[in-house]
Amino acid sequence: MIDDAALHEWFCGQVLPLEGALTRFIQRNWRVGDDVPELRQDIYERALLGARTGLPMNTRAFVFTIARNHLINRAVRAKIVSFEVLAELENIAPIDLLATERQLDAREQLRRAQAGMEALPPRCRDVVRLRKIEGLSTLEAAERLGVGTATIERQLTMGVRALTDFMLGGSGRLQRPRSVRRRRRAVQ
Amino acid sequence: MTRADDTEATAALFVIRSEEAGWSIADQEALDSWLDESIAHRAAYWRLQQGWREADRIAALGWERAARVQIPKRLWQMAVAACLVLMVGVDMPTPRMDSVENVPVLRFDTPVGGHRVVPLADGSLIELNTATLMKTAVSSKHREVWLDRGEAFFEVAHAEGRPFLIHAGNRTISVLGTKFSVRRDSDEITVSVLEGRVKLAGASSQTQAPAAILTAGDIAIAKGKSTLLEAESEERVRAALSWRSGILDFDNSTLTEAAREFNRYNRAQIVIVDPDAAQIRISGEFQVSNVDAFVRLLRDAYGFRIRSTPQVLAISS
Repeated sequence: MIDDAALHEWFCGQVLPLEGALTRFIQRNWRVGDDVPELRQDIYERALLGARTGLPMNTRAFVFTIARNHLINRAVRAKIVSFEVLAELENIAPIDLLATERQLDAREQLRRAQAGMEALPPRCRDVVRLRKIEGLSTLEAAERLGVGTATIERQLTMGVRALTDFMLGGSGRLQRPRSVRRRRRAVQ
Repeated sequence: MTRADDTEATAALFVIRSEEAGWSIADQEALDSWLDESIAHRAAYWRLQQGWREADRIAALGWERAARVQIPKRLWQMAVAACLVLMVGVDMPTPRMDSVENVPVLRFDTPVGGHRVVPLADGSLIELNTATLMKTAVSSKHREVWLDRGEAFFEVAHAEGRPFLIHAGNRTISVLGTKFSVRRDSDEITVSVLEGRVKLAGASSQTQAPAAILTAGDIAIAKGKSTLLEAESEERVRAALSWRSGILDFDNSTLTEAAREFNRYNRAQIVIVDPDAAQIRISGEFQVSNVDAFVRLLRDAYGFRIRSTPQVLAISS
């Protein structure tokens, strides 16, 4: 059994750098774009479950094999996917299709961070800047901008999610929170 | 709202709150028990925590600069290189996984007339010239490159205890941090050093070639067992590297040599029909892509006759 610390290190060091390629892989092979974040999350979950009994030698092959199997399972279950799509999926050789991914160097990180910031809505961008550049806490930021802490938290969680998409090579498309109250209860 | 969306939203809130000064032991316990609930929770939390941490780079942008896009000069150069590759109308070469080991071996190539900058994970940059094929394997302990054909300029990031090895034919070049180029024409290897020091040695004990240390301004040409060293030839190193800006620089080269250089970059091949023409000497700078201008010069300035087909430019007196 692999402990959580080792699992965490493996996940951040070897799985997350594949995210850009993994996202493109799902997009290419799945018609409903809105399903991508959920499918990716499922794949990560399965990868972690599998790796708990022993870390794979080749993380890339491991993750993409899981991705391919998961897409096939989902397609079978959905029953709305045509046989052609299923046949295509089964013919995918996941690892050969993909471009290289690597740990980002500092310059690439900076470029992505910059692109990610550009893409944020102005309000969200200001709140993220107060946090990352000036190091303000939620309360301090709320006072500075004259809004409630809930607003700051909402903007920050939006920023965390969108910037993570950017930093890990995804689209950085915004997931606007729709039911903040429900989520807050989950945390408290 | 899907389950994954919900999980991610909760994880994001935990990421934000755990940064706060008021984060208590009870809060940490709440987070731990949420993480223990499901491995999906851990996946979402670890992912956002990592992404948010990587976004710390924003701090380097500052307030004003964060508002504008400023593209570093190197990125412009890379963009220009990428455009050059596109301009010749050949599909962008994509690196491919070749190995199933832990260190991935990546493959990079350029078509005839191509030019491409490949950044490595360790911060080094490799600039590929026309018709080049290269493989790389970079890990936390080793950095290795195989130059199978063509030419490349290396800007090696300094890393103590992590040698950078380049295998080209029967020679191996080892460096710690420097700038130089390696060119391979089948079994002939040319190394031109712009900065720093490199060591050129036989690839194995069977290659009984003596090792040579090259410093800035040196050019070594290795073939079979012999190595020819031209020391202190800064001017020639500069000329040897002029391809990086799309220029061919000839200094008293024979027409045969000049034609051979042009032929590396263009599909239309220059053929020199008569031996007298082959021996004339050429000097000057020419654009790699503009073989027509070069041929026009031969016609107008030297009075040669040109017969051209799409594949061949035949030159005779």
